[in-house]
Amino acid sequence: MDGNRTIWIEKYRPRKLEEMVGQKDIVARLQSYVKTGDLPHLLFTGSAGVGKTTAAVALARELFGDAWQTNFREMNASDERGIDVVRNQIKQFARTSPLAGASFKVLFLDEADALTPDAQAALRRTMETYAQTCRFILSCNYSSKIIDPIQSRCAIYRFGPLDREAVVEEIRRIAAHEGLTVTDGALDAIVYIAQGDMRKAINALQGAAILNPTIDETMIYEITATARPEEIGELLDRSIGGEFNEAEQLLGELLHDRGIAPNELINQCYRALIQRDMDRTLKVKLIDALGEVDFRLSEGASSDIQMKALIAQFVLAAQKGA
Amino acid sequence: MDWAEKYRPRHLQDIVGNAAAVRQMYEWAKTWSRRSRPLVLYGKPGIGKTSSAYALARDMRWEVVELNASDQRTKPVLERIAGSSSTTASLSGATRKLVLLDEADNLHAHADRGGARAIVDIIAESRQPIILIANDYYRLAKEIRAVTEPVQFRALQVRSIVPRLRQICAEEGISCTGGVLEEIAEAASGDLRAAINMLYAASIGKDRLTGEDVHTVRKDERSTIFELIAAVFKGRSDGDLLRMAYEVDDTPDAIEQWIEGNLHHMPDFASRARGYDYVSRADEYVGRTYRRQYYTLWRYANAIALLGAADAAGGHGVRGRIQPPARWGMMSSSKRQKAIRTGLLRKLSQSTHIPQNTLREEFFTLIGLLVEQDPKRFVKELQLDADELNLFLHDRTSAARVVREAAREERAAATAEKKSRKKPAKSAADPPEKRREEERSERPSSQATLF
Repeated sequence: MDGNRTIWIEKYRPRKLEEMVGQKDIVARLQSYVKTGDLPHLLFTGSAGVGKTTAAVALARELFGDAWQTNFREMNASDERGIDVVRNQIKQFARTSPLAGASFKVLFLDEADALTPDAQAALRRTMETYAQTCRFILSCNYSSKIIDPIQSRCAIYRFGPLDREAVVEEIRRIAAHEGLTVTDGALDAIVYIAQGDMRKAINALQGAAILNPTIDETMIYEITATARPEEIGELLDRSIGGEFNEAEQLLGELLHDRGIAPNELINQCYRALIQRDMDRTLKVKLIDALGEVDFRLSEGASSDIQMKALIAQFVLAAQKGA
Repeated sequence: MDWAEKYRPRHLQDIVGNAAAVRQMYEWAKTWSRRSRPLVLYGKPGIGKTSSAYALARDMRWEVVELNASDQRTKPVLERIAGSSSTTASLSGATRKLVLLDEADNLHAHADRGGARAIVDIIAESRQPIILIANDYYRLAKEIRAVTEPVQFRALQVRSIVPRLRQICAEEGISCTGGVLEEIAEAASGDLRAAINMLYAASIGKDRLTGEDVHTVRKDERSTIFELIAAVFKGRSDGDLLRMAYEVDDTPDAIEQWIEGNLHHMPDFASRARGYDYVSRADEYVGRTYRRQYYTLWRYANAIALLGAADAAGGHGVRGRIQPPARWGMMSSSKRQKAIRTGLLRKLSQSTHIPQNTLREEFFTLIGLLVEQDPKRFVKELQLDADELNLFLHDRTSAARVVREAAREERAAATAEKKSRKKPAKSAADPPEKRREEERSERPSSQATLF
């Protein structure tokens, strides 16, 4: 099991654009940039684990071939977010000539929305002044956190969350390489846990593979400390149905016997509530109760008390609503 | 080479739109003398401010020395670079050097310490023309605004952007299906550079451009916030609303403000009140998010604002137009009003020796009445600008006119004074009106006359 000694999200990170799953339209545009050797400044937006970094690195590999590491630099803006980074490090990289016959270099600035507005302001002219020698790829979760003058200088690509097919395809590819057997139930579980985030999917798979090369859904839920969607459904059914004692008992099992973190349980309840077909007024009330508990937990309140009180709130709200 | 750079206009006549601004710049340059005030070009990104400055320099055969926010701009740095170029003659034989201070509204409080003061000093000492560029005029230090001349650049119309895009397509040999360029121009919301960048990004490696290519590279999805608000009032499904909110790519505080700004579309007051209740609760989550730096809470803000408002609206839909939150406009204009008021109170306080608070609370009405009696006199004595005078007159046009007239009269008075100093013997023969003006301009300060 040599493969288990490295982190799979690195081991299986696509080296080429064509190997990427999902984001077909974006990949096609990036490939034509490679073909012509022409690259605008880019702004990648989207949530975690949807391929922004992978696309940037693969693009650089294809543009520069063997010399990609000398002409490509990756920086994370959330590590160093002040104006000095832009005025010193970024400018330093941008102004020096590309190597090995490349016509420009590429600077990938991850989490660019973490840059302070001042730093972003300093970045905008740097992008223009050194456009001859350096192209910028910025990535962020929300493009609205990037100042307008930078958006104005970039082609913006929105990376959507990965769909079920994309996650399944990638998991199957890795499983084949590693000689794993993954049941259909396990695939469903991985898709549920991932929520469109490939990193979560691959981490769950690798975690389970360490235990056993044959992977079923129980292992996936266990290794990720997640409740099954059916269990969450039952928890909601019972509390909305007014059965406090039964709901409380199930809550105890999930929290204590299964070791699921209260935050994770809240996350799952939130997802289930959003999708649940029910009276809207009541739904908003329950979401609010959930949010209140989430907030109190973040303030350091005791999870045991808060979670039980939450169930009680659910029961009460449902009774009033009905 | 990217097209925004490749197709950057070289001459003033190539600048797209903003004819009035361009004309103002050209007049300024043609008549430039050491006494001319520097220009401040201001307006949204990507509408030609920097390009116009460079084009002007090229048309005038001036050299350009540029400093922008990517350079450190402390006082010593500014003085070394801009100071030397603005006081010493050019070596390369160009007649003048244009000192260009880009992003002048972005002087960094710490890294650029003393920058604003240095700019004012350089303006005072310069023997060369200076242009400052800013996105937000009212973020410029007040001292800088006081010694410069504003030139406003406006966002460009779709109908001015499209021909430019068509021209670029022709030069690049790209054919477009109908409506594609219009779509790009719309999506750019007035930003020509963004439009050109979108065109570039969509057409690399292609010789035919279709709607499909454009959809992947849009500046942003601002149009969909309207769709989201419409969907909320129409009562679309919870899943749809949250998915659209995700696509809108805006933070929950912005979405919440949009909802709040459209609550008047609710069918009756009870639903409107419920709408406010939900938005207010959502707002509480936004506050908690920022206070705790715990971004998970954002989702409750979104869910409560969107699903709650949808619930309150009960599927009645929107009556009339969906509007951007009024508060955004209000915030910037009230910030501006506040800056103007503070400046005015400072001036009044200095000349009356009354604290600003007292002035505002007890004297403002009285002074207002006095100003209405003889606005020009106050303009001259207190050096009011049009914005400040408008606080009393509530009439922009006449405020501007009074300030212009006052300036003209003061210039005339100054020239007259110079003349009379040169030939003191003759002054007794001057007409009496001029004498009076001289006397007044020689009075040491204003408080004696005004208060």
